[in-house]
Amino acid sequence: MKRIVSLILAALLVLTVFCGALAEEKEYDRVTITYTCPQVVAGYDYNAPNGDGYSNWILDKFNIDFQGTNVSWNDWNSQLITWIYAQDMTDVAIYNYTDGTATEATNIVNQGLLYRLPDDWKERWPNVAKVYDVTSLGPMLDDLYGGTYFIPRARFFYNLPGDPLANHWCLWMRSDWIEAVGKEVKNIYTIPEVLEIAKLIKEQDPGEIGAALAPISMTKDNSASFFLRANSTYWDSFYKDADGVYQWGAASPETLQGLKYWYQAYSEGLLDQEFYLLDYEKDMEKFQTLGTAGISYLGGQTADSENYRILFEQRTGLPQSDFLMATLLGDDGNYHQRDLINFWGAVCFKPDIEPEVFERWMDLMEFTASEEGYPGTQMGVKGVDWDFGEDGKIVSLVEPGTLLAGAVGEAKYPSLGHVLGSVILWDDLAMDNPNIAENYREESKALYQTRYDNSTPETFVKVDWNLWMNDSEELLRANGIDYPTEFANMVTTATSEEDLENIYNEWLESQMSIVQPALDVLNG
Amino acid sequence: MTPMPADTKPRTLSQRLSNTWKRAVANKEKYVLILPGIVWYAIFAYIPIFGLSLAFKKYVAKLGLFGSPWIGLYNFNNVFADPAFFASILTTIKINVGRLLFVFPIPILFALMINELRLGRFKKILQSIYTFPNFLSWVIVASIMISILGQRGLVNSLRGELFGAEPVAFLGKPNYFLPVVYLTDIWKTAGWSAIIYMASISGIDVEQYEAAEIDGSTRLQRIWYITLPSIKSTIMVMFILAVGRLMSDGFDQIFNLSNSATIKVAETLDMYIYRITFKGRVDFAFSSAVALFRSTINMLLLVVADRVSKAVGGSGLLG
Repeated sequence: MKRIVSLILAALLVLTVFCGALAEEKEYDRVTITYTCPQVVAGYDYNAPNGDGYSNWILDKFNIDFQGTNVSWNDWNSQLITWIYAQDMTDVAIYNYTDGTATEATNIVNQGLLYRLPDDWKERWPNVAKVYDVTSLGPMLDDLYGGTYFIPRARFFYNLPGDPLANHWCLWMRSDWIEAVGKEVKNIYTIPEVLEIAKLIKEQDPGEIGAALAPISMTKDNSASFFLRANSTYWDSFYKDADGVYQWGAASPETLQGLKYWYQAYSEGLLDQEFYLLDYEKDMEKFQTLGTAGISYLGGQTADSENYRILFEQRTGLPQSDFLMATLLGDDGNYHQRDLINFWGAVCFKPDIEPEVFERWMDLMEFTASEEGYPGTQMGVKGVDWDFGEDGKIVSLVEPGTLLAGAVGEAKYPSLGHVLGSVILWDDLAMDNPNIAENYREESKALYQTRYDNSTPETFVKVDWNLWMNDSEELLRANGIDYPTEFANMVTTATSEEDLENIYNEWLESQMSIVQPALDVLNG
Repeated sequence: MTPMPADTKPRTLSQRLSNTWKRAVANKEKYVLILPGIVWYAIFAYIPIFGLSLAFKKYVAKLGLFGSPWIGLYNFNNVFADPAFFASILTTIKINVGRLLFVFPIPILFALMINELRLGRFKKILQSIYTFPNFLSWVIVASIMISILGQRGLVNSLRGELFGAEPVAFLGKPNYFLPVVYLTDIWKTAGWSAIIYMASISGIDVEQYEAAEIDGSTRLQRIWYITLPSIKSTIMVMFILAVGRLMSDGFDQIFNLSNSATIKVAETLDMYIYRITFKGRVDFAFSSAVALFRSTINMLLLVVADRVSKAVGGSGLLG
């Protein structure tokens, strides 16, 4: 009897393994999938034999012919929305879902311009569903739309730093110049402190740069974020005051204070005098490549913090230790920010997508959201670049200092840009990624922590879903105000601080015909 | 075209159509030649006119242009509530009236001067040099301008080297924006625009010049009394067309040369339409309302310029 039972059990075991193997080795017919995202490497062919080891491996695994379209960061959503309205979008696209574009997204969904995922998608692709749930936005959108049209991609899954979620943007500073001008190197600064350092850098020119020296180099958008957001949490949005009444953040005294700092930096020659001409990442180039800028305000994501230093060292010939990342606080000593919300970019599909194409992309996302597939999105091919150790932890198999993700010609796998199906983004794995030097990972965690340690619920605020989910035309129109451009214009045209205040007040008044209707809707 | 004999003048509609068809067949080569132009106008100028109906609709992409619901003048109410709209109209008029004053006469002067050159080869070389910038896109011209007029550009470097002067933000100060616009416009387009005047000048009877020379006229007198009056009708037609574009000229140029520091003096109606259509919010119906407004004003200006031209004794464009 025991033998028979053993035989049956053995047969069942063999059958289970066989079926499992069959499921794993699911055979796919070849499909072509078109895709739009600014992360797509322009002109790069991801497909074999032209792609790299990772793209060839994963596209072969899912039998996909991948046709990626790059859109510029500056015009990302405007281009995508135009294609969506023209009903000419690619099979899959990443929508830049933000509080500024949420109204537009609702409009698009209401017009039936996006594919509605089948109601049982969460059962069919459970790993994607788990990620979807931690994004906060996903479940809110389900309620709003009565179905799923977007799959937000999670910034964090295993390593969420906190709630609300802090942004990784931080000060990039030349620590050698700070020391040379006699100031203290710290991991926290306020704007007056930064301006004081910039002034000394301008006077003393510790790097002997000469006329090309830009004590502070920031693009128009980054300048707005740096000077205004540091003190004014709602500088480009609406907010509910203590009495529960919605107000316009641009009109707050904190916004004006930020504007005055911006004007001071510009009029005293501390800020790049042609910041309004700097295209995307040109400020980064001045800091990281040319070494002519002392202070910038740029990304500080864990996944890239070491790469930024490596490139800085390679391009300027300076040691990595001269590159300091620091947190920016407001004059009140608090960190100011609205909840970043745990997502960045949302996957959406064209309304008439072929079922086979949709399912294939979902299968790909399901794999990259799994424990097995998720490390590969940053670390390359399993068994070649990384593997699981006996304790189940990820072990790196590459030489230290190997550049896995990055530019074509520089990196081993240019395709590792979270293009091929990723629903969990950079910083999550980066915090545990053994390929990133531990000191940089610890620095990054510490930077996140400083934001939580130096903030109050009033300065570092949770998301206001009521505002986010409002799809009124009045708010849509008010969200069309281009705040960075408007404020940059005030700063460059003002002749004195008093003049700046006058220009600012006139502008506030002129915008009320657009802003007041939005406030009426929100307070109605 | 082959003329119609007077005694065969058609009386009924069918006779007229029949005769039109016969004339078309008789001149088929000419009709074939103008066919591409007609097709181009039909596709790119006339069919899109239907799109203007969007100005009175709430655009629903799924329903398409014709299926979207009518909402009357709602879009226009929103347009007129936006202070940036009126500011953009004033900016457009300011920039384009300036073009008429400072840019429009330059190709005429070019044509007159080139016409006075005696060395044929030198004339052709100069003409090529003047015409070449027309083939550069405004993106390229804007990049060149940054290299020349930027704070670390050629002009500022020379000023610094020669006079020890502080750099000037030529591209970042509203005061300099219009001069930069006019100068770049002249540099890029004047040579090309001069071609039409030169063609007109080449049609002037040479005997007039010879007679004037025998009578002892100076070169300037010949230009003033022979050349200019002879090309007056061409100048008038070009002027009327330029007035007709008063509300919509030069988007590429303004778009590429402007920046956030100069946007208040640079946001023309076309820039405004671009911003509201492709930046921030996407509202095709709203931008159609603005575009319809712009086209209406352009048409009115065209008609007024034409009538004024005729009233002062010049030639006209319309009937």
